[in-house]
Amino acid sequence: MSSRVRKDKNPHRKTWAVLFVIVSLFCIIFFAAKGRFQAPANSQAVALVLSPFQQAVSWIGGQLDYVTSTVWDIATAHEQNKLLRNEVEQLRIQNLETSEAMAENERLRTLLGYRQMTTQFDMVAARVIGRESATWSRMIVINRGQKDGVAVDMVVVTSEGLVGHIVEAGWNTSKVQLILDPRSSVGTIVQRAESRVAGIVQGDMNNPMMPQMVNIAKNADVVEDDVIVTSGFGGIYPKGIVVGRISSIENDAGGLLKIGLLETAVDFQKLEDVMVITASREAPPEPIKPPVQTLGTETDPAAQAAEAKAAAAGESQK
Amino acid sequence: MNKFGKLALFVIMLYVVQSSLLTLIAYHGIGPDLMLLLTVSYAFLRGMRYGGLMGFATGLLQELATGTFLGIHAFSQLLIGLFFGRFSDRVFKEQFFLPVFASVAAIVANYFILALLMVLLGYRFNLVGNMESMLVPMLIYQLAFAYPVHRFAYALDKKLSKKEKH
Repeated sequence: MSSRVRKDKNPHRKTWAVLFVIVSLFCIIFFAAKGRFQAPANSQAVALVLSPFQQAVSWIGGQLDYVTSTVWDIATAHEQNKLLRNEVEQLRIQNLETSEAMAENERLRTLLGYRQMTTQFDMVAARVIGRESATWSRMIVINRGQKDGVAVDMVVVTSEGLVGHIVEAGWNTSKVQLILDPRSSVGTIVQRAESRVAGIVQGDMNNPMMPQMVNIAKNADVVEDDVIVTSGFGGIYPKGIVVGRISSIENDAGGLLKIGLLETAVDFQKLEDVMVITASREAPPEPIKPPVQTLGTETDPAAQAAEAKAAAAGESQK
Repeated sequence: MNKFGKLALFVIMLYVVQSSLLTLIAYHGIGPDLMLLLTVSYAFLRGMRYGGLMGFATGLLQELATGTFLGIHAFSQLLIGLFFGRFSDRVFKEQFFLPVFASVAAIVANYFILALLMVLLGYRFNLVGNMESMLVPMLIYQLAFAYPVHRFAYALDKKLSKKEKH
């Protein structure tokens, strides 16, 4: 009875309650975006509940995709085979030249007393099981979590290049912020030896598939088709991972800087399998060995390279 | 399983389909937003109170599951659920035309609420270019998926309310 009386006294109670919820949500949005408020353990609980369903459904999706792509591959196999043979020949010649250059490089390095090291990575393979279809941020969910040794701030890559980094690691799933997300920023440099200009790659809201390289000085040596790699500054991303290629350069609104629009190395439309870098260390590189040639496609790259050189020399003499 | 459990399972399954299966047909990373469609349908079927609640719950689920900006979807879908819930006693529940086309209005409203929040959060973008790349594909997807989602929500709601009466 008493509740009834109270209701009559305050007929707008419901409206006030709704208003209270709306205002608190509004506040939470800003606190969360500024990093002063974090979703409590609920977020991990939700991920844990969803993950078996997501794994099952993404497996079905993967099978469907596999069937359609296999049919397409079979239909185009003949044409592709021709193109690939051509490419293999060219790559073999290139490979030979590279190993010669590597040998020379090593000789010169020992001459100078340089210690040659490369970074080696320990990786965990993971499958993409969920993806956000909302429009303002770019996140994916992968099927590896703390139980596989994945932790926050680890870097996610594919064989093509950089994907993003882990922002939340649950027990058996993790959330990855892609480099397309407007909140993400990656320290990068231009790979070209004469340039090495540094800049920051950020996600762009205007063009969700093309991030921007910002903070480039107006007179900096950056041109279209330059390959952009991670610089290693900032601590999260190790040095030398390919991010993408500059597709066009625009002037910044301020007029002092320019912005490069990047075509990412990874095809984010078809992201299915990724790798998480769980540890990286410096180690001496392994010596290069020529790969085994497939039966029926053997070529002699040394002879072909010599031929190509002779042809080039002949042309230049003309 | 009780009524709430069934509804929760339906929402979870719908979300899983949206995040795992429908991304295969997404265009430039933009796919149908089934959670918004469900909110609109539910608001039309059940009124302001449940519509708002459904919007809030599905929005929050989306944010906790993928980790976007916390609270933006819960906020926008709560408003949309409340707004469309107002019309629930003025349309026939068997009428499908209105909820389907209301979902188009809902997606536009949702887009502008989120765009405003993004501007308030300090992200700058070109509205016309952004609308072309985001709003247009989203509208097409929403129109295609509005009818089946509403149909499902209607069937489920009918089943659950029938049990309630017995």
